[in-house]
Amino acid sequence: MSISRRKFLGWLGAAGFGTALGNTAHAASNKHFDGYPNSNGVLFDNTRCIGCRKCEEGCNRVNELPEPDRPFSDLSLLDTKRRTTAKSYTIVNRYDEAASGKGPLYRKDQCNHCLEPACASACFVRAFSKTTSGAVIYDASVCVGCRYCMIACPFEIPTYEYDKAFSPRVMKCTMCYPRISKGLLPGCVEACPTEALTFGKREDLLKIGRERIAKFPERYVDHIYGENEMGGTSWLYLSAVPFEDVGMREDLGVTPAPKLTAGALSAVPMVVGLWPVLLTGIYAINQRKGKIERQEKEQAVAAALEKAVSEAETKLSQAMEKAEKEKAAAIETAVSKALEDAAKAAEEEVGDPAAEDADKKSSEEDS
Amino acid sequence: MEKGRALIRWNVIIVAVVMISFSMHRPAVFGTETQPKKAPEMRADIIQIDSMNVFGKLERPAVAFLHQKHTDALEKKGKDCAACHLSEKDPILDMERMSTMFMRLKNTSKQEVMDIYHDQCIGCHKEIKAAKEPSGPLECGGCHQVKVTVISSWRPIGMDKSLHYRHSKAQDNKCEKCHHEYNESTKKLFYAKGKEGTCRYCHGERTEENRISMRLASHIACIECHRRTIAKNESAGPFNCNGCHAPDEQKLIETVKDVPRMKLNQPDYVFVKTSAANDKESNPSTRMKLVPFNHQAHEKYNDSCRVCHHAALDDCVQCHSLTGSKEGDNVTLQQSMHRLNVNQSCMGCHEAKLNQQTCAGCHTSFEKKRQQGTASCENCHMVPPSRITHEVPPAEQKMMAAEVLEAREAVTVTYDDQDIPETVLIKALTNQYEPVKLPHRKIVNTLFNNIKNNKLANFFHHEKGTICQGCHHNSPAAKKPPNCVSCHGRPFNAEDPFKPGLMAAYHRQCMECHKAMDIKKPVSTNCIACHAKKS
Repeated sequence: MSISRRKFLGWLGAAGFGTALGNTAHAASNKHFDGYPNSNGVLFDNTRCIGCRKCEEGCNRVNELPEPDRPFSDLSLLDTKRRTTAKSYTIVNRYDEAASGKGPLYRKDQCNHCLEPACASACFVRAFSKTTSGAVIYDASVCVGCRYCMIACPFEIPTYEYDKAFSPRVMKCTMCYPRISKGLLPGCVEACPTEALTFGKREDLLKIGRERIAKFPERYVDHIYGENEMGGTSWLYLSAVPFEDVGMREDLGVTPAPKLTAGALSAVPMVVGLWPVLLTGIYAINQRKGKIERQEKEQAVAAALEKAVSEAETKLSQAMEKAEKEKAAAIETAVSKALEDAAKAAEEEVGDPAAEDADKKSSEEDS
Repeated sequence: MEKGRALIRWNVIIVAVVMISFSMHRPAVFGTETQPKKAPEMRADIIQIDSMNVFGKLERPAVAFLHQKHTDALEKKGKDCAACHLSEKDPILDMERMSTMFMRLKNTSKQEVMDIYHDQCIGCHKEIKAAKEPSGPLECGGCHQVKVTVISSWRPIGMDKSLHYRHSKAQDNKCEKCHHEYNESTKKLFYAKGKEGTCRYCHGERTEENRISMRLASHIACIECHRRTIAKNESAGPFNCNGCHAPDEQKLIETVKDVPRMKLNQPDYVFVKTSAANDKESNPSTRMKLVPFNHQAHEKYNDSCRVCHHAALDDCVQCHSLTGSKEGDNVTLQQSMHRLNVNQSCMGCHEAKLNQQTCAGCHTSFEKKRQQGTASCENCHMVPPSRITHEVPPAEQKMMAAEVLEAREAVTVTYDDQDIPETVLIKALTNQYEPVKLPHRKIVNTLFNNIKNNKLANFFHHEKGTICQGCHHNSPAAKKPPNCVSCHGRPFNAEDPFKPGLMAAYHRQCMECHKAMDIKKPVSTNCIACHAKKS
């Protein structure tokens, strides 16, 4: 018979326990990483944002993205909550209820350029890479289109060119990597009329952020979003209200995404190396057990069959014998009876003819 | 057969899981009553009955008791407060007074108090129900509800100047009707003339050894008096919850516009005392210049004495000594006058005034901190201490303070119109738009007219260039301040990371001021409202 589920789970547990008891494997990403020195970032300050969508326009222009359906000057688009799409790397959303009495607040959404990006750690062909400039960039030539990056990103940023039949790409903000490499400002930062977006070295931006909070403590929430979120991001945020109120996740914690999976993934070599042996062993044992069982069963069946056949044969022959005897006896009795009858009839014919007439008469009355 | 059994087993497990999760998220199903979904009602009379707290953790959710609903219902039946509240003779007041507790005089034991509530509340509800009238709940979940069905709109009420004046007038200026002191030895209340102060000086948040909490004191004293007065068919204040605590009914309370000054020997003008009366030792030559203070005027600005005299009607220095003392919670005199973000300090209160629309335009972009320049100190610190010594009699000191204040320059000034450019052409962004025509003189005049009648502002804008500094900041006040571009150039200069670039400097200066002053037009996102389209 096959093994029971309980037994199987037991073995599985034992295997897992064995791997866990061994030395903990340290993946390279388990080391604390503070970001590349002098890497760039952008600080977004929602107390300065006026919701003009110039950043969207600037982004569209410098990245040569397709013309939008409605012009960037159409601010009625802010009435609905939007997200990044394959045709817009960045969008601005309006939050009316966020600040009571202070008027609406806005939030610009784009790739946060994590110091240790989840998209890059999820990508098995290394299409994503964190550059020393701070930008997280994408290489379409190696992408296989699995879209794991889209699932991995906690900020729901990468998008996919679903409308392209051939060579669709994952699309997301690149922090204008080609531009910043040349010493230019990212498109959105350059377009912002109020410096709600500040471009600079990430360390400087943190200083600027802290300084602003210190100078105007009643204007800001005492926190720079992105300083530690998901292990730190290159895009940083200052806000007048709790970040949750402007649609930003506050439940992400400070652990970089790769670290979350490093432990589990470090067990992979163990699983790959050990489990085939173990499972093959279990399979072989099972097979052998099965074989023996099968043989025993066959023997038993054969023996039983033999016995049954011989028994049946004897029974049959006995029955046949009996039947023949009965048949002979029956014939004998039938013959003797017939002889007797014949003798009786002969006697009656001779001795009593009147009786024959009476019989005739009664038969006439009946008709 | 085997298959069927497994199917049943799984069904049972799934049902159990569903039931458990259901009961964890909706305890209302098991015990408490579910209510149809509707928006919570706003009420000012909610009392959370959590009296059982004193006996340990509550077993059921506290009852949100609607006091006014009950008093209104009882009134219709011709019953009064005594239907629910017992009276006893108060040894301190020497008179019969009603307990604020429900049907008891003190919290005896858990079981007893619980029984009082359950027997009395449910008993009364049952009686009413038996009479086929709409009554309160009878089952546990009816009162002990987890779900919030009412939200408090309760507002505190205070004895402001107008209310105090109306009370003292109604009582024929007999202060002793309300004000009292406590005699420790006889354990009786007595009236001390000239020592009247705010109730809160003694009656705090919680009931202490020999003084009851402010909440209890006001409910006993105010309601008791209002009730007795109304019983005599005379007009009196409210004695139900909403009358004092509902926002809409608070507005109905009559206010007297020009309240005469309260008389309690307070000065008209005075130098802010820097040492207690008995202190003769400190060296006047090491003192900061003295501050003359217009006490009379400040009485008018505030609703009650307690705004500044937050703990006692004494001189500030009595508790806040120069070096700090235990009585003043180690807040020194200097701190007590200059602290920001508190109401009772000079600067804290003046600073809060900057949030007014007329001031906020310029001041919104200024960091909130004490200005360290000597010039701004001298706006208040005007008189060298050597002039006022202990030998000068107090009356004469007060006269001097009055003289100094009268002589003080307190008028907002700026440059003559012909010195203020009428329009300024801003030629940045001319690659995209026509130059911006800034109505410069109109802006200056608006700012000037906004504050010229503001007495506080007048003290601080008496130099011609001060008002200009709202925009032309961070350079010395001058008739011809430097161009914006002298400081604001290329954005994100790593050498000077805190200074915005030219475009942001312009935009933020205009937009943030407009926002703070609630100027609706031009809309910040409408580029062509300021930047004319290029022809």
